[in-house]
Amino acid sequence: MNTLLKIENLHASVGEKEILRGIDLEIKAGEVHAIMGPNGSGKSTLSAVLAGRETFHVTQGAVTYDGRDLLALSPEERSWAGLFLGFQYPVEIPGVSNVNFMKAAVNEQRKQRGLEPLGAAQFLKLMREKMAYVEMDSSFSGRGVNVGFSGGEKKRNEIFQMAMLEPRLAILDETDSGLDVDALRIVASGVNKLKRPDNAFIVITHYQRLLDYIIPDVIHVLYKGRIIKTAGKELALEIEKKGYDWLIHESE
Amino acid sequence: MKASNLIYAPALKQEFRCRVPLKDARQLFLVNGKVQGGNAPLALRLEAGEPMDRMLQIIGIRSADGPQDLSFESSFHFGPRSSGRIILCAHTFSLDFFKTVERVKITLEEGAAAEFVVMQNEHNRAEHETDYDIVLGPGASLDMVFLSLHGGVIRNHIEARLEGQGASCRLSGLYLADGEQRMDYDIRLTHQVPGCRSNQLFKSILDDRSVAHFDGLIKVVPDAQKTEAYQANHNLLLSDTARAYTRPQLEIYADDVKCSHGATIGRLNPDELFYMRTRGIPAAEARLLQQLAFAGEVVEKISSTELRERMLSLVEKRLRGEFSRCQNCSKNCC
Repeated sequence: MNTLLKIENLHASVGEKEILRGIDLEIKAGEVHAIMGPNGSGKSTLSAVLAGRETFHVTQGAVTYDGRDLLALSPEERSWAGLFLGFQYPVEIPGVSNVNFMKAAVNEQRKQRGLEPLGAAQFLKLMREKMAYVEMDSSFSGRGVNVGFSGGEKKRNEIFQMAMLEPRLAILDETDSGLDVDALRIVASGVNKLKRPDNAFIVITHYQRLLDYIIPDVIHVLYKGRIIKTAGKELALEIEKKGYDWLIHESE
Repeated sequence: MKASNLIYAPALKQEFRCRVPLKDARQLFLVNGKVQGGNAPLALRLEAGEPMDRMLQIIGIRSADGPQDLSFESSFHFGPRSSGRIILCAHTFSLDFFKTVERVKITLEEGAAAEFVVMQNEHNRAEHETDYDIVLGPGASLDMVFLSLHGGVIRNHIEARLEGQGASCRLSGLYLADGEQRMDYDIRLTHQVPGCRSNQLFKSILDDRSVAHFDGLIKVVPDAQKTEAYQANHNLLLSDTARAYTRPQLEIYADDVKCSHGATIGRLNPDELFYMRTRGIPAAEARLLQQLAFAGEVVEKISSTELRERMLSLVEKRLRGEFSRCQNCSKNCC
């Protein structure tokens, strides 16, 4: 199988503070990787660095995505190359409607691939189809991006956007946080519908619960900016029962 | 002159095509301050109960055959219970230096209702200063949207007096400046009687070394109880060298009123920008969407859908920097 993402000895800081302290990770097409770990271990930093957030500075290491130097690309170039970040805290954009936001995004992606922009009717059809993935009401299209959405609606909107953009590598940063069981099931089934042999997912989560619905191939535990354990899906159950302490002791 | 007598008169010396020829609007040209084809200033008078059947677009033009310095006056008198919608456009025909001092008098008698959209679109060597003198009678309602799209110096002084009980006045403005442009809004709004409402929303987007001033005063006289008056001024700075000055002020002498004012000066939100970029929207386009969202709050006060959409597309062209690229003409409407 093809390696889609290869992270080697990645170090990243914000200001003087080093948050990622040497991460190695390899993801192949068709795989689902879960990243778990206690608060402050660097999970969100890792996803932000991969998406190109400029507040973090990579001080060492390399990230290769689909044969390209990922760190040399701007956030939009990463998106055009098929990378997607599902935000832990989706941003509200007052005054920009969901439909205009997605139209700008989808048509830009098409432009980058040498395709004509979608006509209004085609676009709305696509929108309706993908909104159905996450059982989102069509009334959301006209509303400002995430403005006044509940926590669950925001997360569904992330999965909806992912469905619209059909990424090759999706990083879902605590998509399960703040979701009730129904929303969790809807979000997870949206993800499962999008799974293909040629794409991959990184699912960042605190809890084993989400992994009941989205079955990972590999689980990594991140602690103090390093991966301290990599194992199969059964590790999640063990963490649920015993917490992280035993892993931390083991690694120290 | 009665509104119903106005005739579309496009026979100007130079070609002028308005990009906003709204389906049902009449057009009237005001060339160097005079109603085209005559020597008279514009004085529009609606009789009691007279509704203007169609929107009236008054296209004010400065041309090279007029004086460099020009001052003139226009007046709009709405009789009791009359109503109408008016677009006031200010343009320059050539790229000569122009200085225009204008006085616009708007009077709404009892129960009259008017909507004005002011669109100012000139060039970098043009200075345009306008005094708006507004008086509202009992139950009269005025809705006025100012769009200062382009100009070397644009100054709008607005003096509004709510003189009859139950009058309501909404003033909204969007001013866009870049390069060395300067835009000033100076507003004095007085609640002289009880039970009136006023609402002001003014927003600027400033780039390069442009400067904008907002100086707004709401005054509520001692007996004007049950007044509701709001004022907000928000400024968006796109460069480190653009400057916004804002002075929102309340002067309240009555004790049973609802009043508020506020002002902000800020930059584009970096979290929004990053979010949009992760979806593949290029940074420049994402910034434009943010600016349009900011500007939209003012433009959406225009009641006509058609006019609103035209204005939004002009604002978008302006924010994309297309106005300053025009070499041959200064109107940028085409």
